[in-house]
Amino acid sequence: MTIRIVRAGVQATLQGRPRRGARWLAAPAAGPADPLSMALANRLVGNCPDATAVEITLGGFEARIEADIAIGLTGAEGVASLDGEPVAFHQTLHARAGSALSIDPPRHGMRTYLAIASGLAAQEAFGSPSTYSPARWGGHQGRALLPGDVLRVQGASTMPPAIETPARHRPAIGPAFALRACASAETALLAPGSKAALFEQSFVVSARIDRMGARLKGARLDLASDGRMASGAVYPGVIQCPEDGAPIVLLCDAQTTGGYPRIASVARADRHLLGQLRPGARVRLLNRTRDEAINDLREKSAYLVEWLPEFRM
Amino acid sequence: MSDRAPTFLYLAEDAIGVMVTDCRRARAVAARLAERAPWLEATQGMNSVCVQFDPLQTKEADVVSALAEAMNAPLDEDESVAPLRLKVRYGGEEGPDLKVICGSLGLSADEFIHLHAASAHVVEMIGFMPGFAYLSGLDPALNVARLTTPRPRVAAGSIGISGGYSGAYALASPGGWPIIGRAAAPLFDPSAETPLVLAPGMRVAFSPA
Repeated sequence: MTIRIVRAGVQATLQGRPRRGARWLAAPAAGPADPLSMALANRLVGNCPDATAVEITLGGFEARIEADIAIGLTGAEGVASLDGEPVAFHQTLHARAGSALSIDPPRHGMRTYLAIASGLAAQEAFGSPSTYSPARWGGHQGRALLPGDVLRVQGASTMPPAIETPARHRPAIGPAFALRACASAETALLAPGSKAALFEQSFVVSARIDRMGARLKGARLDLASDGRMASGAVYPGVIQCPEDGAPIVLLCDAQTTGGYPRIASVARADRHLLGQLRPGARVRLLNRTRDEAINDLREKSAYLVEWLPEFRM
Repeated sequence: MSDRAPTFLYLAEDAIGVMVTDCRRARAVAARLAERAPWLEATQGMNSVCVQFDPLQTKEADVVSALAEAMNAPLDEDESVAPLRLKVRYGGEEGPDLKVICGSLGLSADEFIHLHAASAHVVEMIGFMPGFAYLSGLDPALNVARLTTPRPRVAAGSIGISGGYSGAYALASPGGWPIIGRAAAPLFDPSAETPLVLAPGMRVAFSPA
């Protein structure tokens, strides 16, 4: 019951349940950058939403499947094939032992999720199997996958019936993102014109992007800050602004504390989209009050519960 | 502690913090909050503590009153730990910002190293990244600002200074602190029984390697 990696692309890692309750030890959450897409992939193969799956960055991925097994692909869509035959995203795929799976770079979006029925075995650290490579925790030897790595399926082989994600539950992943966001602890440090600019301009995602965070390019934001702020808590979704005026939106591997002013926070309801930001993508931030953001979360949760009853944002 | 009303920090619709006077108080408040669910996380800052919660399960008003209550947590007193000697290779390629810092402070490298190594340091907090230690005790003459643009990669073992603290990077990571040198021995060893050399509350004495 194994899967052999032939090509891993830019970065492929095993991700599952995030690390919870360990930020006080400075242990970041990790887990999927786009948890909704991973939950949808797991749903296709009858797994729980956070069963350990492969997170593939910008395609370029190839693997040999060495058992009869059900798999599911979601997230950023690149041309995918099983033994040279094109296969669709958002459908249960029944792969035969010895078949070759390949996934090309997606046109839009950053991360593709490959779920395998029963989930993948992974090392645990701080109660989570998710890879956090800076500390070599979790996943497959604590690191990104390399050609030749052999992944083991957890538990017994299952062949769940073929289903597909209903069209209304397939997230649209395009070249531009509208992210709802609230003010944060140091928003007041922004010069008045810059606060307006934060929510009115269109940013472009720079090439400086990884699982920790993404730098956004746009009109420079001016801050009343001298670079000596005491470090405080940050979380995935928080947008920091260094003194050079180019904001950084934090992702799933975000550090636990930071000293740059926290000028906004992407709403919990929309944080799953951060995992699909890629260099060159456009980002607009839509200003929400905290109450509005909680309402957005309630509405989106209620919408998702029909297809993903166990998924929590 | 102060009789004034606490200052709350509204980070997000699912994260609220409270300002405290110092790091020691922050450790105590964070420990108190960590004992009490329903937080997803309770994180200590240098002079703040923050909790993250599920806003569909927990009301903002209840979070605020729990933070206010935790401000009364007693300080835990333990200063009996012997200082750990930490040898540092100052300057050069391993301390790429030492020259600029010395220039801005009007010190020679030797004067800088003497001032940095002379004082007693305390690990106030582990934060930012696994094993990143914030150490108090920096000579007030060495207070410099963060880099205006953070480095994408700082080497494991690097020692930086900023905002009145020394910082030790146990792991390679991005970083915004000017780097003055590198610890002669690793600060993180995954095969060791205690993989992280530095822990909160530990006293540290730096010396040139």
